[in-house]
Amino acid sequence: MIDPLSVQVRSMVINSSVILGFISISAMFLIWWERKVSAHIQNRLGPMIVGWHGSLQSIADTVKLLLKENIVPAGADKMIWWLAPFFVVVPSVMAFVTIPFARNFVVHDLNVGILFITSITSVCVLGIFMAGWGSNNKYSLLGGMRSAAQIISYEVPLLLSVVVVIMEAGTLSMQGIIQAQEHGWFILKPNLAIAFVIYFISSTAEVNRVPFDIPEAESELGAGYHTEYTGMKFAMFFVAEYTNLFIVSAVAATLFLGGWQGPFLPSVFWFLLKSYGIIFLSMWVRWTLPRVRMDQMMGFAWKFLTPVALLNLLISGWFMLR
Amino acid sequence: MAEITFFFIALCVCVFALLSVLSRDVFHCAVWLALTLLSVAGVYFYLDAEFLGVVQVLVYVGGIITLFVFAIKLTAKIGDKSIVQVNEQTLAAAIVTAVLFYLLFKVIAVHPWVSGPGSAAVVSLKDIGNSLLTGYVLPFEFISLILLAAMVGAIVIGKVKK
Repeated sequence: MIDPLSVQVRSMVINSSVILGFISISAMFLIWWERKVSAHIQNRLGPMIVGWHGSLQSIADTVKLLLKENIVPAGADKMIWWLAPFFVVVPSVMAFVTIPFARNFVVHDLNVGILFITSITSVCVLGIFMAGWGSNNKYSLLGGMRSAAQIISYEVPLLLSVVVVIMEAGTLSMQGIIQAQEHGWFILKPNLAIAFVIYFISSTAEVNRVPFDIPEAESELGAGYHTEYTGMKFAMFFVAEYTNLFIVSAVAATLFLGGWQGPFLPSVFWFLLKSYGIIFLSMWVRWTLPRVRMDQMMGFAWKFLTPVALLNLLISGWFMLR
Repeated sequence: MAEITFFFIALCVCVFALLSVLSRDVFHCAVWLALTLLSVAGVYFYLDAEFLGVVQVLVYVGGIITLFVFAIKLTAKIGDKSIVQVNEQTLAAAIVTAVLFYLLFKVIAVHPWVSGPGSAAVVSLKDIGNSLLTGYVLPFEFISLILLAAMVGAIVIGKVKK
């Protein structure tokens, strides 16, 4: 007789391996894709040498990063410096636990799925701040400070827009939210369309992308909190950045675009199509808009986005109880 | 298997808690405290109290520790290693903690612990929400009032005098 617990453990191990493989391949693909998209938007070609249209460029870069020397700056706070990349990478990997890739594929469908993702990704803030503090570099510290302030501020409208979805679906489970959209995606309803726009803007700020990339603004801060990191430690920040981009896009696809639902094709295909579509939108925004100033950005979050999100929540609640 | 998981989480809680108290650098203390709180969230997840675990991470690690870190950054020289962490009341504190430890140990040793399959009720999210807004609405609102008062107080203290 096979022990049911060991079967459960075994299936979790297999699922986790699939997810880990997906994360690394997806991050490498996204880095290549971003370079190609940015190049074509700016009327360039981008990487062309390694492989077909530079498609193996990311693999070459990974090998390069693996072979790089690990440089620890003099005067760095060694323990914080070593721990920081893990605080950034591990939460973003853990968030994949509740992401529903397909009808039957989710590592563990928690009852509090969406709340789990938002809470576990909020640990990243600490990692970014630790990287800034541990580097013993004023630009890194400034980048870390800016990042923490920004992520905390944009977390408020982000969660408020997610609450509207939760109210509509009546559940926190990711699969439950998708099943609630069986008769029409949430984005088709006016209040949820507003919530989607708020979510998209806030999530762009959460993953530190242009126009909200002031934590790593190259022209003012070098590269912000990861200026001093080299080799695989830098690669971990890089992978975490693109993994977080995938997570917020996958959550957007789940909450507003019906997740894996779609006709004819297998459900995993629809899920990936929607997620990567939103990622493409985010890349389009990144390479089109200029960077905003710190005070403009904080003002936008607190004086515009949060009140609009609150009002949206109030109106949705009123229509629901009417 | 389940026991191993529990003991591993418990060990994490103890080690990180000790480190957060014994560390010399106050920023290190904050990081160890974050790991302690994450391990406590692990205990909640182990006991199937998913909501509690998630809220623990969201509120304590995502909110309060970040606030601590900000406070450390903005307070001049508090990150200095030369700062003395003990005051002159060492002896009194040692006596008090020894007595407290003895009493707690006594109570824990005397208490008849039930071993065997646990029967912790799995409370659904719906029940938590309903009871918060019906039976426990007064304490719930009262806590928010206290938090508001604390916030106003912090602003008044922090206000620059003209």
